[in-house]
Amino acid sequence: MSIIVISADDRAAEDQIGSRTAEITGYGRLEYGLLKEIAAKYDIEEEKLAEALEREPSLLRGMPPKKWYYYLACIEAEVLERLAADKMVTWSLAAHLYVLGISHALRVRILSDSEKMAKAVAEENGVSLQKARKILAKRQRQRVQWSQAAYGQDETDPALYDLVINLGQIDPDEAAATIAKAVGYRKFEPMTYSRKCLANLLLAAKVKTRLLETMSDIDVQSRDGRVIVTTKALRRDKQKKTLAIKELAGSVEGVNFVEVHFNNDIFKEAAQSLR
Amino acid sequence: MAIITISRGSYYMGKAVAEKVAERLGYPLVSRDVLLEASERFSVPEIKLARAIHDAPRILDRLSHSKQSYIAYIRAALAERAAAEGKLVYHGLAGHLLLTGLEQVLKVRITADLEKRVAQEVERSKISARKARELLLKDDLQRRKWTKTLYGVDPSDSTLYDLVIRIDKITVDQAVDFICETADNACFQDTEKCLRKAKDFAIACRVKAALVEEWPNIKVACHYGNVVVYPREKESKAGKLRKRLDQICNALEGIHNVEVHRASQPPVDAV
Repeated sequence: MSIIVISADDRAAEDQIGSRTAEITGYGRLEYGLLKEIAAKYDIEEEKLAEALEREPSLLRGMPPKKWYYYLACIEAEVLERLAADKMVTWSLAAHLYVLGISHALRVRILSDSEKMAKAVAEENGVSLQKARKILAKRQRQRVQWSQAAYGQDETDPALYDLVINLGQIDPDEAAATIAKAVGYRKFEPMTYSRKCLANLLLAAKVKTRLLETMSDIDVQSRDGRVIVTTKALRRDKQKKTLAIKELAGSVEGVNFVEVHFNNDIFKEAAQSLR
Repeated sequence: MAIITISRGSYYMGKAVAEKVAERLGYPLVSRDVLLEASERFSVPEIKLARAIHDAPRILDRLSHSKQSYIAYIRAALAERAAAEGKLVYHGLAGHLLLTGLEQVLKVRITADLEKRVAQEVERSKISARKARELLLKDDLQRRKWTKTLYGVDPSDSTLYDLVIRIDKITVDQAVDFICETADNACFQDTEKCLRKAKDFAIACRVKAALVEEWPNIKVACHYGNVVVYPREKESKAGKLRKRLDQICNALEGIHNVEVHRASQPPVDAV
């Protein structure tokens, strides 16, 4: 059975379509509610996790980049862990940005009627329709910036999705029925290879979470238990960092071999060495 | 009434999808034949119309407004087909933009992975993968420039469409299923209001096509056969415009009244 990943430009539409799709298909739901479990497991405030999913890091709001990446990695690892069970519909946890290259995942983007959204914002905030449109455009820009900063992807890019459905004219129930039908297609059935790809993503996410707890500038890839960590360090710290990474990454279940690569900014490194 | 526009880039499988949708629904398939109709009706060589709808406007085109004229002719021919047939499948560049102002149009975009498109082009044209990629990217760029210059939007922006389907894991036949089922929705069905609107739209497009050469920036709206034209102040040439409108009024069927509104904002459905 497959995985359905839903992303939308409006939280309410995302909830509505996600819930309806889960009802029709009988799949499990992975959504915002999972943050409570993640918060308890990693001993993080739930609000901080929610904030990491919404906004870019800011020192003023007590969310430095290091923590931001760590919170996102915790969410990613937990979501991927649950997705491995198959028959899941996920939304509101940014899975569309990290569940990549998995052939049994149907990726759907839902677009809401922009005029209806503007009217709702105008009513909610007591502002004019024109002002509401500006607020929406700003939110959209911020979302794009967030997705690019967090995962290097523009979440509005249609190339990320198998299907984009605009609710301007199409009824939400009809949209959910279309998604449910699409996921039944043969190409979305899990295969040994696609399950393996998901297992690789999960292992990489687990290692990343373990490393980001104490380090920064970490990128992890994995393949069949072999893990490649790319990071940055000054020349004199390289050996020490390599050992620390190997020790931490090696303690994650399923890791057989760890390779560490350094991707340094040589100009910055030279400047720092001359100080 | 369901008018389905299928937008696509080069070798996105959009043509195959459009053909199958038209066959399944029993709708007429419209594409290049609109160019032929426009070419005959407005006495413009078809090649010029084809270029107008494919290549981005050059500086000289922008000065002479010839591209606007050609597009107005194509739009008039397409709008007339839409009003006469009631239901059709149009595939080609910017159908969703040419028919802006018409209700109950199901706007679909077909996308595909670049590498798969390259492979198709290599097989079709027997050229190297590098050359094929260059060609496809150039073509995509032309289409993007064209839409941006003339309509101020990016054709890859998914908010312009009701459905965007990526032909990869979803096959052509499955995409056809989705489109046909969506077209069957109540919101795309025949109503008195939408038939009326289609007729008004066709009239507005015909009037615009008749005026565009001399008044390239003129806007035209039509409601229940009442035509309102919105000239720009500096180009209005009031007497000449009135005379021309009287001629058009006599030549075209379905027009009850023509008014000229200067210095007022045209409605959003004006063409």
